Amino acid sequence: MNELVEKICLCIERGKVNLASPYPKDLKGQEGADEFSRQAIAAGVGPDVILQACNDGMQRIGAKFGRGEAFVPELLMAAKAMNAVMAHLKPFFAAGTVKAKGKFVLGTVAGDLHDIGKNLVSMVVAGNGWEVLDLGVDVKPAKFLDAVRNNPGCIVGLSALLTTTMGNMAATVKELKTVFPTTVVIVGGAPLTAEAAAQMGADGYAHDPQAAAAFLGKFATAA
Amino acid sequence: MLRAQLLDLASQSHRVPIGADLVLHQHDDAEAILCDGARLGAVVAEAAVRFRSPLAFPIMDLRLEKAELLRFFGVSADAVDKFHFTTAPTAAQRREYSRYVCEGEPSARVQANLGALRYIAQQPGMLPIGMCIGPFSLTTKLMADPITPVCMAGSGIGAEEDADVALLEACAELSITCVLRQIERALDAGACAVFIAEPAANQVYFSPLQLAGGSDIFDRCVMEPNRRIAELLASRNADLLFHCCGEITDTMLDSFCSLHPSLLSLGSSRRLWEDAARVPKDIVLYGNLASKMFYSDETMPLIRVVDQVTELAARMAATGHPFIMGTECDTLHVPEYAATIRAKVDCLCSGPRVATRDQIPCASASHLVTILDPKAP
Repeated sequence: MNELVEKICLCIERGKVNLASPYPKDLKGQEGADEFSRQAIAAGVGPDVILQACNDGMQRIGAKFGRGEAFVPELLMAAKAMNAVMAHLKPFFAAGTVKAKGKFVLGTVAGDLHDIGKNLVSMVVAGNGWEVLDLGVDVKPAKFLDAVRNNPGCIVGLSALLTTTMGNMAATVKELKTVFPTTVVIVGGAPLTAEAAAQMGADGYAHDPQAAAAFLGKFATAA
Repeated sequence: MLRAQLLDLASQSHRVPIGADLVLHQHDDAEAILCDGARLGAVVAEAAVRFRSPLAFPIMDLRLEKAELLRFFGVSADAVDKFHFTTAPTAAQRREYSRYVCEGEPSARVQANLGALRYIAQQPGMLPIGMCIGPFSLTTKLMADPITPVCMAGSGIGAEEDADVALLEACAELSITCVLRQIERALDAGACAVFIAEPAANQVYFSPLQLAGGSDIFDRCVMEPNRRIAELLASRNADLLFHCCGEITDTMLDSFCSLHPSLLSLGSSRRLWEDAARVPKDIVLYGNLASKMFYSDETMPLIRVVDQVTELAARMAATGHPFIMGTECDTLHVPEYAATIRAKVDCLCSGPRVATRDQIPCASASHLVTILDPKAP
Protein backbone atom coordinates (compact mmCIF):
# COMPACT_ATOMS: atom_id res chain seq x y z
CA MET A 1 0.00 0.00 0.00
CA ASN A 2 2.76 2.41 0.97
CA GLU A 3 4.56 1.38 -2.17
CA LEU A 4 1.61 2.49 -4.29
CA VAL A 5 1.43 5.81 -2.50
CA GLU A 6 5.14 6.35 -3.03
CA LYS A 7 4.74 5.45 -6.72
CA ILE A 8 1.98 8.04 -7.08
CA CYS A 9 4.20 10.59 -5.43
CA LEU A 10 7.12 9.70 -7.68
CA CYS A 11 5.00 9.78 -10.85
CA ILE A 12 3.83 13.27 -9.96
CA GLU A 13 7.35 14.42 -9.24
CA ARG A 14 8.55 13.00 -12.57
CA GLY A 15 5.49 14.07 -14.58
CA LYS A 16 4.50 10.54 -15.54
CA VAL A 17 0.79 10.83 -16.33
CA ASN A 18 -0.18 7.34 -17.45
CA LEU A 19 0.93 4.23 -19.27
CA ALA A 20 0.28 5.78 -22.68
CA SER A 21 2.35 8.88 -21.97
CA PRO A 22 5.83 8.68 -23.52
CA TYR A 23 7.14 11.25 -21.02
CA PRO A 24 9.54 11.05 -19.33
CA LYS A 25 11.54 9.03 -21.78
CA ASP A 26 13.08 6.74 -19.15
CA LEU A 27 9.62 5.76 -17.86
CA LYS A 28 8.13 5.16 -21.32
CA GLY A 29 5.93 2.07 -21.35
CA GLN A 30 5.49 2.07 -17.59
CA GLU A 31 2.38 2.76 -15.58
CA GLY A 32 1.85 6.28 -14.32
CA ALA A 33 -0.07 8.36 -11.79
CA ASP A 34 -3.38 7.46 -13.39
CA GLU A 35 -2.93 3.69 -13.06
CA PHE A 36 -1.30 3.77 -9.62
CA SER A 37 -4.02 5.97 -8.12
CA ARG A 38 -6.71 3.67 -9.52
CA GLN A 39 -4.89 0.69 -8.03
CA ALA A 40 -4.51 2.49 -4.71
CA ILE A 41 -8.21 3.23 -4.48
CA ALA A 42 -9.00 -0.38 -5.36
CA ALA A 43 -6.60 -1.53 -2.64
CA GLY A 44 -8.45 0.57 -0.10
CA VAL A 45 -5.96 3.37 0.32
CA GLY A 46 -7.81 6.34 1.78
CA PRO A 47 -8.42 9.23 -0.58
CA ASP A 48 -6.91 11.57 1.99
CA VAL A 49 -3.69 9.53 1.83
CA ILE A 50 -3.69 9.73 -1.97
CA LEU A 51 -4.34 13.45 -1.78
CA GLN A 52 -1.39 13.78 0.56
CA ALA A 53 0.73 11.89 -1.98
CA CYS A 54 -0.29 14.48 -4.56
CA ASN A 55 0.69 17.20 -2.18
CA ASP A 56 4.03 15.54 -1.44
CA GLY A 57 4.79 14.99 -5.13
CA MET A 58 4.05 18.61 -5.94
CA GLN A 59 6.07 19.71 -2.91
CA ARG A 60 9.06 17.75 -4.17
CA ILE A 61 8.93 19.19 -7.67
CA GLY A 62 8.12 22.60 -6.22
CA ALA A 63 11.21 22.45 -4.02
CA LYS A 64 13.32 21.54 -7.05
CA PHE A 65 11.74 24.44 -8.93
CA GLY A 66 12.63 26.76 -6.08
CA ARG A 67 16.23 25.53 -6.12
CA GLY A 68 16.52 25.94 -9.89
CA GLU A 69 16.74 22.17 -10.35
CA ALA A 70 13.44 22.00 -12.24
CA PHE A 71 11.74 24.45 -14.55
CA VAL A 72 8.28 25.32 -15.81
CA PRO A 73 8.07 22.38 -18.24
CA GLU A 74 8.84 19.89 -15.46
CA LEU A 75 6.38 21.65 -13.16
CA LEU A 76 3.70 21.54 -15.83
CA MET A 77 4.21 17.84 -16.49
CA ALA A 78 4.04 17.15 -12.76
CA ALA A 79 0.79 19.08 -12.53
CA LYS A 80 -0.63 17.04 -15.38
CA ALA A 81 0.25 13.83 -13.57
CA MET A 82 -1.36 15.19 -10.45
CA ASN A 83 -4.49 16.05 -12.41
CA ALA A 84 -4.72 12.43 -13.47
CA VAL A 85 -4.84 11.46 -9.79
CA MET A 86 -7.30 14.18 -8.91
CA ALA A 87 -9.71 12.85 -11.53
CA HIS A 88 -9.95 9.66 -9.47
CA LEU A 89 -10.48 11.64 -6.27
CA LYS A 90 -13.34 13.74 -7.61
CA PRO A 91 -16.07 11.35 -6.45
CA PHE A 92 -14.64 11.45 -2.92
CA PHE A 93 -14.73 15.23 -2.91
CA ALA A 94 -18.31 15.12 -4.22
CA ALA A 95 -19.36 12.65 -1.54
CA GLY A 96 -17.67 14.67 1.21
CA THR A 97 -15.26 11.85 2.07
CA VAL A 98 -12.46 14.29 1.40
CA LYS A 99 -12.95 17.92 2.13
CA ALA A 100 -11.30 20.63 0.13
CA LYS A 101 -9.23 23.15 2.04
CA GLY A 102 -11.37 25.86 0.57
CA LYS A 103 -12.45 27.30 -2.74
CA PHE A 104 -10.12 29.29 -4.97
CA VAL A 105 -11.56 31.38 -7.79
CA LEU A 106 -8.93 32.16 -10.40
CA GLY A 107 -8.72 34.03 -13.68
CA THR A 108 -6.61 36.17 -15.98
CA VAL A 109 -7.87 39.74 -15.90
CA ALA A 110 -9.75 41.52 -18.66
CA GLY A 111 -7.74 42.27 -21.77
CA ASP A 112 -5.15 39.61 -21.07
CA LEU A 113 -5.20 36.21 -22.77
CA HIS A 114 -2.14 34.68 -21.15
CA ASP A 115 -2.84 31.54 -19.23
CA ILE A 116 0.39 29.64 -18.62
CA GLY A 117 0.95 31.10 -15.17
CA LYS A 118 -2.70 30.91 -14.26
CA ASN A 119 -2.95 27.28 -15.31
CA LEU A 120 0.12 26.33 -13.31
CA VAL A 121 -1.26 28.04 -10.23
CA SER A 122 -4.59 26.32 -10.79
CA MET A 123 -3.02 22.88 -10.98
CA VAL A 124 -0.63 23.34 -8.08
CA VAL A 125 -3.33 24.76 -5.81
CA ALA A 126 -5.71 21.95 -6.75
CA GLY A 127 -2.97 19.48 -5.90
CA ASN A 128 -2.77 21.10 -2.51
CA GLY A 129 -6.37 20.10 -1.85
CA TRP A 130 -8.23 23.23 -2.88
CA GLU A 131 -11.30 23.30 -5.04
CA VAL A 132 -10.39 25.55 -7.94
CA LEU A 133 -12.89 27.45 -10.05
CA ASP A 134 -10.95 28.60 -13.11
CA LEU A 135 -12.77 31.43 -14.86
CA GLY A 136 -10.35 31.41 -17.79
CA VAL A 137 -8.73 34.37 -19.52
CA ASP A 138 -9.90 37.90 -20.32
CA VAL A 139 -12.19 37.85 -17.28
CA LYS A 140 -14.20 41.01 -16.67
CA PRO A 141 -14.59 42.25 -13.07
CA ALA A 142 -18.31 41.43 -13.13
CA LYS A 143 -17.51 37.76 -13.67
CA PHE A 144 -15.20 37.71 -10.65
CA LEU A 145 -17.92 39.41 -8.60
CA ASP A 146 -20.48 36.82 -9.70
CA ALA A 147 -18.09 34.02 -8.77
CA VAL A 148 -17.54 35.44 -5.29
CA ARG A 149 -21.27 35.96 -4.86
CA ASN A 150 -21.92 32.34 -5.77
CA ASN A 151 -19.04 30.97 -3.72
CA PRO A 152 -19.08 32.64 -0.31
CA GLY A 153 -15.80 32.46 1.53
CA CYS A 154 -13.75 31.80 -1.57
CA ILE A 155 -10.33 33.31 -2.13
CA VAL A 156 -9.75 35.08 -5.44
CA GLY A 157 -6.61 34.89 -7.57
CA LEU A 158 -5.95 37.35 -10.39
CA SER A 159 -3.31 36.76 -13.05
CA ALA A 160 -1.88 39.03 -15.75
CA LEU A 161 1.17 39.06 -17.96
CA LEU A 162 0.75 42.28 -19.88
CA THR A 163 1.80 45.66 -18.55
CA THR A 164 -1.19 47.05 -20.40
CA THR A 165 -3.59 45.10 -18.18
CA MET A 166 -2.19 46.26 -14.86
CA GLY A 167 -4.87 48.93 -14.78
CA ASN A 168 -7.54 46.28 -15.30
CA MET A 169 -6.08 44.21 -12.50
CA ALA A 170 -6.09 47.18 -10.14
CA ALA A 171 -9.67 47.97 -11.14
CA THR A 172 -10.73 44.37 -10.53
CA VAL A 173 -9.14 44.32 -7.08
CA LYS A 174 -10.84 47.60 -6.27
CA GLU A 175 -14.27 46.35 -7.36
CA LEU A 176 -13.86 43.12 -5.43
CA LYS A 177 -12.78 44.96 -2.30
CA THR A 178 -15.62 47.47 -2.65
CA VAL A 179 -18.36 44.88 -2.99
CA PHE A 180 -16.81 42.12 -0.86
CA PRO A 181 -14.40 43.87 1.53
CA THR A 182 -13.51 40.70 3.44
CA THR A 183 -12.74 38.59 0.38
CA VAL A 184 -9.08 37.69 0.22
CA VAL A 185 -7.45 38.56 -3.12
CA ILE A 186 -4.06 37.36 -4.29
CA VAL A 187 -2.41 38.53 -7.51
CA GLY A 188 0.45 37.34 -9.64
CA GLY A 189 2.12 37.87 -13.00
CA ALA A 190 5.38 38.96 -14.58
CA PRO A 191 4.93 42.75 -14.34
CA LEU A 192 3.95 42.54 -10.67
CA THR A 193 5.84 42.83 -7.44
CA ALA A 194 4.72 42.68 -3.82
CA GLU A 195 4.83 46.48 -3.67
CA ALA A 196 2.67 46.90 -6.75
CA ALA A 197 0.24 44.27 -5.46
CA ALA A 198 -0.08 46.06 -2.15
CA GLN A 199 -0.66 49.36 -3.92
CA MET A 200 -3.53 47.74 -5.82
CA GLY A 201 -5.09 46.71 -2.53
CA ALA A 202 -4.46 42.98 -2.91
CA ASP A 203 -3.97 40.90 0.22
CA GLY A 204 -1.21 38.81 -1.27
CA TYR A 205 1.23 38.43 -4.10
CA ALA A 206 2.70 35.22 -5.45
CA HIS A 207 5.68 35.15 -7.75
CA ASP A 208 5.22 31.47 -8.51
CA PRO A 209 2.63 28.69 -8.02
CA GLN A 210 4.24 27.43 -4.82
CA ALA A 211 4.02 30.87 -3.29
CA ALA A 212 0.34 30.98 -4.18
CA ALA A 213 -0.24 27.61 -2.52
CA ALA A 214 1.70 28.71 0.55
CA PHE A 215 -0.35 31.89 0.81
CA LEU A 216 -3.62 29.95 0.53
CA GLY A 217 -2.40 27.58 3.22
CA LYS A 218 -2.92 30.35 5.75
CA PHE A 219 -6.64 30.30 4.98
CA ALA A 220 -7.22 26.54 4.75
CA THR A 221 -10.47 25.47 6.35
CA ALA A 222 -10.13 21.68 6.20
CA ALA A 223 -7.29 19.23 6.43
CA MET B 1 24.34 47.40 -43.99
CA LEU B 2 23.03 48.76 -40.71
CA ARG B 3 25.66 47.07 -38.55
CA ALA B 4 28.25 49.78 -39.10
CA GLN B 5 25.74 52.48 -38.27
CA LEU B 6 24.67 50.69 -35.10
CA LEU B 7 28.27 50.32 -34.02
CA ASP B 8 28.75 54.00 -34.70
CA LEU B 9 25.68 54.91 -32.66
CA ALA B 10 26.92 52.70 -29.85
CA SER B 11 30.24 54.47 -29.88
CA GLN B 12 28.32 57.71 -29.31
CA SER B 13 26.55 56.29 -26.23
CA HIS B 14 23.28 56.40 -28.12
CA ARG B 15 20.07 55.74 -26.23
CA VAL B 16 16.65 54.96 -27.60
CA PRO B 17 13.59 53.22 -26.19
CA ILE B 18 11.29 51.03 -28.21
CA GLY B 19 8.34 53.29 -27.63
CA ALA B 20 6.38 54.13 -30.78
CA ASP B 21 3.25 52.91 -29.00
CA LEU B 22 3.59 55.74 -26.47
CA VAL B 23 3.70 58.30 -29.26
CA LEU B 24 0.87 56.62 -31.15
CA HIS B 25 -1.43 56.95 -28.16
CA GLN B 26 -0.78 60.65 -27.86
CA HIS B 27 -2.97 60.87 -30.94
CA ASP B 28 -6.74 60.79 -30.45
CA ASP B 29 -7.38 58.30 -33.24
CA ALA B 30 -4.68 55.71 -32.57
CA GLU B 31 -6.74 52.83 -33.93
CA ALA B 32 -7.37 54.61 -37.22
CA ILE B 33 -3.68 55.46 -37.57
CA LEU B 34 -2.79 51.77 -37.29
CA CYS B 35 -4.59 51.16 -40.58
CA ASP B 36 -3.17 54.16 -42.45
CA GLY B 37 0.35 53.63 -43.76
CA ALA B 38 1.31 57.26 -44.23
CA ARG B 39 -0.05 58.35 -40.85
CA LEU B 40 1.51 55.36 -39.11
CA GLY B 41 4.81 56.17 -40.79
CA ALA B 42 4.49 59.74 -39.55
CA VAL B 43 3.95 58.45 -36.00
CA VAL B 44 7.00 56.17 -36.20
CA ALA B 45 9.00 59.13 -37.52
CA GLU B 46 7.61 61.30 -34.73
CA ALA B 47 8.78 58.72 -32.20
CA ALA B 48 12.26 58.63 -33.72
CA VAL B 49 12.45 62.43 -33.60
CA ARG B 50 11.14 62.54 -30.06
CA PHE B 51 13.67 59.96 -28.93
CA ARG B 52 16.38 61.71 -30.96
CA SER B 53 17.32 58.56 -32.84
CA PRO B 54 17.73 57.60 -36.49
CA LEU B 55 16.40 54.15 -35.54
CA ALA B 56 12.76 54.19 -36.55
CA PHE B 57 11.52 51.30 -34.43
CA PRO B 58 7.94 50.54 -35.49
CA ILE B 59 5.01 49.43 -33.35
CA MET B 60 5.69 45.99 -31.88
CA ASP B 61 2.33 44.27 -32.22
CA LEU B 62 3.08 40.57 -31.94
CA ARG B 63 -0.53 39.60 -32.64
CA LEU B 64 -0.33 40.75 -36.23
CA GLU B 65 1.24 37.69 -37.83
CA LYS B 66 -1.12 35.31 -36.04
CA ALA B 67 -4.06 37.26 -37.45
CA GLU B 68 -2.44 37.24 -40.87
CA LEU B 69 -1.89 33.48 -40.77
CA LEU B 70 -5.36 32.67 -39.49
CA ARG B 71 -7.07 34.64 -42.26
CA PHE B 72 -6.23 31.68 -44.48
CA PHE B 73 -8.00 29.36 -42.06
CA GLY B 74 -11.12 31.51 -42.04
CA VAL B 75 -10.78 32.70 -38.45
CA SER B 76 -12.54 36.02 -38.03
CA ALA B 77 -10.50 38.98 -36.82
CA ASP B 78 -12.31 39.20 -33.49
CA ALA B 79 -11.70 35.51 -32.77
CA VAL B 80 -7.99 35.49 -33.59
CA ASP B 81 -6.56 36.22 -30.16
CA LYS B 82 -8.37 33.34 -28.49
CA PHE B 83 -8.02 30.88 -31.36
CA HIS B 84 -5.83 27.81 -30.99
CA PHE B 85 -5.47 24.84 -33.29
CA THR B 86 -6.71 21.69 -31.60
CA THR B 87 -5.58 19.32 -34.33
CA ALA B 88 -2.63 19.63 -36.65
CA PRO B 89 -3.40 21.35 -39.95
CA THR B 90 -2.93 18.77 -42.68
CA ALA B 91 0.01 18.64 -45.04
CA ALA B 92 -2.34 19.68 -47.85
CA GLN B 93 -3.49 22.70 -45.85
CA ARG B 94 0.10 23.67 -45.14
CA ARG B 95 1.01 23.39 -48.82
CA GLU B 96 -2.02 25.46 -49.76
CA TYR B 97 -1.06 28.05 -47.16
CA SER B 98 2.41 28.32 -48.68
CA ARG B 99 0.82 29.18 -52.01
CA TYR B 100 -1.68 31.57 -50.44
CA VAL B 101 0.93 33.46 -48.47
CA CYS B 102 2.84 34.29 -51.65
CA GLU B 103 -0.16 35.33 -53.69
CA GLY B 104 -2.67 36.69 -51.19
CA GLU B 105 -3.09 40.35 -50.35
CA PRO B 106 -1.97 41.28 -46.84
CA SER B 107 -4.48 42.59 -44.32
CA ALA B 108 -5.13 46.30 -43.85
CA ARG B 109 -2.95 46.39 -40.73
CA VAL B 110 -0.04 44.72 -42.50
CA GLN B 111 -0.47 47.01 -45.50
CA ALA B 112 -0.34 49.98 -43.14
CA ASN B 113 2.89 48.70 -41.60
CA LEU B 114 4.37 48.35 -45.06
CA GLY B 115 3.16 51.81 -45.94
CA ALA B 116 4.84 53.12 -42.80
CA LEU B 117 8.10 51.51 -43.83
CA ARG B 118 7.88 53.13 -47.25
CA TYR B 119 7.21 56.46 -45.54
CA ILE B 120 10.22 56.12 -43.25
CA ALA B 121 12.41 55.04 -46.15
CA GLN B 122 11.76 58.45 -47.71
CA GLN B 123 12.69 60.40 -44.57
CA PRO B 124 16.25 61.66 -44.64
CA GLY B 125 18.34 60.46 -41.73
CA MET B 126 15.93 57.73 -40.64
CA LEU B 127 16.53 54.03 -40.83
CA PRO B 128 13.48 51.98 -41.83
CA ILE B 129 13.21 48.90 -39.62
CA GLY B 130 10.72 46.11 -40.09
CA MET B 131 9.16 44.27 -37.16
CA CYS B 132 8.01 40.68 -37.01
CA ILE B 133 7.29 38.08 -34.37
CA GLY B 134 9.78 35.24 -34.27
CA PRO B 135 8.65 31.91 -35.71
CA PHE B 136 8.74 30.02 -32.43
CA SER B 137 6.85 32.72 -30.58
CA LEU B 138 4.22 32.66 -33.31
CA THR B 139 4.01 28.88 -32.97
CA THR B 140 3.28 29.21 -29.26
CA LYS B 141 0.38 31.52 -30.03
CA LEU B 142 -1.24 28.94 -32.28
CA MET B 143 -1.53 26.31 -29.55
CA ALA B 144 -3.38 26.26 -26.25
CA ASP B 145 -0.52 24.45 -24.53
CA PRO B 146 2.79 24.72 -26.35
CA ILE B 147 4.92 23.75 -23.34
CA THR B 148 3.83 20.13 -23.12
CA PRO B 149 4.61 19.19 -26.75
CA VAL B 150 7.94 21.05 -26.61
CA CYS B 151 8.77 19.06 -23.50
CA MET B 152 7.64 15.82 -25.17
CA ALA B 153 9.57 16.54 -28.35
CA GLY B 154 12.55 17.50 -26.23
CA SER B 155 12.44 14.02 -24.75
CA GLY B 156 12.84 12.56 -28.19
CA ILE B 157 9.17 11.85 -28.82
CA GLY B 158 8.23 12.20 -32.48
CA ALA B 159 5.16 13.52 -34.23
CA GLU B 160 4.16 10.00 -35.15
CA GLU B 161 4.03 9.06 -31.46
CA ASP B 162 2.19 12.00 -30.03
CA ALA B 163 -0.60 14.14 -31.50
CA ASP B 164 0.53 17.23 -29.60
CA VAL B 165 4.04 16.95 -31.02
CA ALA B 166 2.48 16.61 -34.48
CA LEU B 167 0.50 19.78 -33.78
CA LEU B 168 3.66 21.56 -32.69
CA GLU B 169 5.48 20.61 -35.87
CA ALA B 170 2.59 21.61 -38.11
CA CYS B 171 2.22 24.97 -36.37
CA ALA B 172 5.97 25.54 -36.61
CA GLU B 173 5.86 24.95 -40.35
CA LEU B 174 3.00 27.41 -40.80
CA SER B 175 4.76 29.95 -38.60
CA ILE B 176 8.03 30.05 -40.47
CA THR B 177 6.18 30.24 -43.78
CA CYS B 178 4.20 33.21 -42.48
CA VAL B 179 7.20 34.97 -40.93
CA LEU B 180 9.46 34.60 -43.96
CA ARG B 181 6.77 36.13 -46.16
CA GLN B 182 6.25 39.01 -43.74
CA ILE B 183 9.97 39.69 -43.79
CA GLU B 184 10.06 39.64 -47.58
CA ARG B 185 7.24 42.16 -47.65
CA ALA B 186 9.07 44.42 -45.20
CA LEU B 187 12.24 44.26 -47.28
CA ASP B 188 10.26 44.98 -50.44
CA ALA B 189 8.84 48.05 -48.67
CA GLY B 190 12.33 49.33 -47.98
CA ALA B 191 13.33 47.95 -44.59
CA CYS B 192 17.09 47.94 -44.13
CA ALA B 193 16.76 45.63 -41.13
CA VAL B 194 14.10 43.51 -39.46
CA PHE B 195 13.60 43.31 -35.73
CA ILE B 196 12.67 39.72 -34.93
CA ALA B 197 10.89 39.53 -31.58
CA GLU B 198 11.25 36.02 -30.23
CA PRO B 199 10.25 36.40 -26.55
CA ALA B 200 9.11 32.79 -26.18
CA ALA B 201 12.61 31.42 -26.84
CA ASN B 202 13.19 31.11 -23.13
CA GLN B 203 13.34 28.70 -20.23
CA VAL B 204 9.60 28.75 -19.62
CA TYR B 205 9.15 26.81 -22.85
CA PHE B 206 12.48 25.03 -22.92
CA SER B 207 13.71 23.20 -19.86
CA PRO B 208 17.37 23.88 -19.19
CA LEU B 209 17.46 20.36 -17.74
CA GLN B 210 16.50 18.87 -21.07
CA LEU B 211 18.94 21.07 -22.94
CA ALA B 212 21.75 20.22 -20.52
CA GLY B 213 20.88 16.56 -21.08
CA GLY B 214 21.68 16.91 -24.75
CA SER B 215 18.27 17.62 -26.25
CA ASP B 216 18.35 19.52 -29.53
CA ILE B 217 14.83 20.84 -29.09
CA PHE B 218 15.87 24.49 -28.75
CA ASP B 219 17.86 24.26 -31.94
CA ARG B 220 15.00 22.58 -33.79
CA CYS B 221 12.26 24.89 -32.57
CA VAL B 222 14.06 28.23 -32.34
CA MET B 223 17.40 28.27 -34.06
CA GLU B 224 16.70 26.37 -37.26
CA PRO B 225 13.83 28.66 -38.36
CA ASN B 226 15.70 31.75 -37.23
CA ARG B 227 18.73 30.66 -39.26
CA ARG B 228 16.44 30.67 -42.30
CA ILE B 229 15.46 34.23 -41.41
CA ALA B 230 19.10 35.27 -41.02
CA GLU B 231 19.89 33.72 -44.41
CA LEU B 232 16.99 35.51 -46.06
CA LEU B 233 18.05 38.86 -44.61
CA ALA B 234 21.66 38.31 -45.60
CA SER B 235 20.60 37.42 -49.13
CA ARG B 236 18.82 40.75 -49.33
CA ASN B 237 21.70 42.67 -47.78
CA ALA B 238 19.58 43.55 -44.76
CA ASP B 239 20.33 43.25 -41.08
CA LEU B 240 18.89 41.05 -38.39
CA LEU B 241 17.99 42.70 -35.10
CA PHE B 242 17.16 39.91 -32.67
CA HIS B 243 15.07 40.37 -29.53
CA CYS B 244 14.25 38.06 -26.68
CA CYS B 245 13.05 39.55 -23.40
CA GLY B 246 12.35 36.19 -21.78
CA GLU B 247 14.51 34.52 -19.17
CA ILE B 248 17.25 32.73 -21.03
CA THR B 249 20.26 30.62 -20.20
CA ASP B 250 23.80 31.43 -21.26
CA THR B 251 23.58 28.63 -23.81
CA MET B 252 20.50 30.23 -25.33
CA LEU B 253 22.37 33.52 -25.50
CA ASP B 254 25.24 31.83 -27.30
CA SER B 255 22.75 30.39 -29.77
CA PHE B 256 21.29 33.82 -30.47
CA CYS B 257 24.79 35.14 -31.09
CA SER B 258 25.35 32.38 -33.64
CA LEU B 259 22.72 34.11 -35.79
CA HIS B 260 25.16 37.03 -35.92
CA PRO B 261 22.52 39.73 -35.53
CA SER B 262 23.63 43.33 -35.82
CA LEU B 263 21.79 44.11 -32.63
CA LEU B 264 20.82 41.80 -29.78
CA SER B 265 18.05 43.02 -27.51
CA LEU B 266 17.63 41.24 -24.18
CA GLY B 267 15.28 41.38 -21.20
CA SER B 268 15.97 42.89 -17.82
CA SER B 269 16.68 39.48 -16.28
CA ARG B 270 20.09 39.60 -17.97
CA ARG B 271 23.16 41.43 -16.73
CA LEU B 272 24.34 42.87 -19.99
CA TRP B 273 27.75 43.75 -18.60
CA GLU B 274 28.31 40.06 -17.89
CA ASP B 275 26.77 38.99 -21.20
CA ALA B 276 29.17 41.31 -23.00
CA ALA B 277 31.96 38.79 -22.51
CA ARG B 278 29.96 36.13 -24.41
CA VAL B 279 28.80 38.34 -27.26
CA PRO B 280 31.00 39.03 -30.30
CA LYS B 281 32.18 42.62 -30.53
CA ASP B 282 30.38 43.28 -33.77
CA ILE B 283 26.99 42.57 -32.21
CA VAL B 284 25.58 45.65 -30.51
CA LEU B 285 23.89 44.84 -27.22
CA TYR B 286 20.64 46.67 -26.69
CA GLY B 287 18.46 47.15 -23.65
CA ASN B 288 17.59 46.41 -21.01
CA LEU B 289 15.97 48.73 -18.53
CA ALA B 290 13.07 47.07 -16.75
CA SER B 291 10.46 48.96 -18.75
CA LYS B 292 7.73 46.43 -18.01
CA MET B 293 7.82 47.83 -14.48
CA PHE B 294 7.69 51.49 -15.52
CA TYR B 295 3.96 51.58 -14.80
CA SER B 296 4.55 51.10 -11.08
CA ASP B 297 5.87 53.92 -8.94
CA GLU B 298 6.05 51.51 -6.03
CA THR B 299 8.26 48.98 -7.77
CA MET B 300 10.06 51.34 -10.12
CA PRO B 301 10.07 54.91 -8.87
CA LEU B 302 11.80 57.43 -11.07
CA ILE B 303 14.82 57.46 -8.82
CA ARG B 304 15.31 53.76 -9.43
CA VAL B 305 15.23 54.33 -13.19
CA VAL B 306 17.91 56.96 -12.69
CA ASP B 307 19.92 54.43 -10.71
CA GLN B 308 19.52 51.77 -13.38
CA VAL B 309 20.42 54.18 -16.18
CA THR B 310 23.50 55.30 -14.29
CA GLU B 311 24.63 51.82 -13.35
CA LEU B 312 24.01 50.31 -16.77
CA ALA B 313 25.80 53.14 -18.56
CA ALA B 314 28.80 52.86 -16.27
CA ARG B 315 29.04 49.09 -16.31
CA MET B 316 28.63 48.82 -20.06
CA ALA B 317 31.18 51.55 -20.65
CA ALA B 318 33.58 49.56 -18.49
CA THR B 319 33.14 46.47 -20.69
CA GLY B 320 33.92 48.39 -23.85
CA HIS B 321 31.25 46.38 -25.65
CA PRO B 322 29.18 48.20 -28.26
CA PHE B 323 25.98 49.08 -26.46
CA ILE B 324 22.83 51.12 -27.04
CA MET B 325 20.81 51.73 -23.92
CA GLY B 326 17.11 51.08 -24.30
CA THR B 327 14.10 49.30 -22.96
CA GLU B 328 13.74 45.59 -22.33
CA CYS B 329 10.80 45.40 -24.69
CA ASP B 330 8.24 47.59 -26.40
CA THR B 331 7.18 50.25 -23.92
CA LEU B 332 3.44 50.18 -24.15
CA HIS B 333 0.95 52.90 -23.43
CA VAL B 334 -1.08 52.12 -20.31
CA PRO B 335 -3.75 54.79 -19.90
CA GLU B 336 -3.82 54.65 -16.10
CA TYR B 337 -0.06 55.07 -15.82
CA ALA B 338 0.74 57.10 -18.94
CA ALA B 339 2.42 60.04 -17.20
CA THR B 340 4.81 58.00 -15.09
CA ILE B 341 5.76 55.73 -18.00
CA ARG B 342 6.56 58.77 -20.15
CA ALA B 343 8.62 60.33 -17.38
CA LYS B 344 10.71 57.18 -17.07
CA VAL B 345 11.20 56.87 -20.82
CA ASP B 346 12.33 60.49 -20.85
CA CYS B 347 14.73 59.64 -18.06
CA LEU B 348 16.18 56.85 -20.20
CA CYS B 349 16.65 59.22 -23.13
CA SER B 350 18.11 62.16 -21.28
CA GLY B 351 19.13 60.76 -17.91
CA PRO B 352 22.51 61.15 -16.31
CA ARG B 353 25.40 59.93 -18.38
CA VAL B 354 28.19 60.41 -15.94
CA ALA B 355 26.35 61.28 -12.75
CA THR B 356 26.60 59.02 -9.79
CA ARG B 357 23.76 58.52 -7.38
CA ASP B 358 25.54 60.75 -4.87
CA GLN B 359 25.21 63.62 -7.29
CA ILE B 360 21.44 63.36 -7.22
CA PRO B 361 20.41 65.49 -4.28
CA CYS B 362 16.80 64.48 -3.93
CA ALA B 363 14.61 61.57 -4.88
CA SER B 364 11.59 63.68 -5.61
CA ALA B 365 10.27 63.65 -9.13
CA SER B 366 10.23 67.42 -9.45
CA HIS B 367 13.91 67.64 -8.58
CA LEU B 368 14.73 64.85 -10.99
CA VAL B 369 12.89 66.46 -13.84
CA THR B 370 15.04 69.52 -13.31
CA ILE B 371 18.20 67.47 -13.14
CA LEU B 372 17.42 65.35 -16.14
CA ASP B 373 16.02 68.05 -18.34
CA PRO B 374 17.76 71.37 -17.88
CA LYS B 375 15.13 73.02 -20.06
CA ALA B 376 12.31 71.96 -17.75
CA PRO B 377 10.64 74.84 -15.92
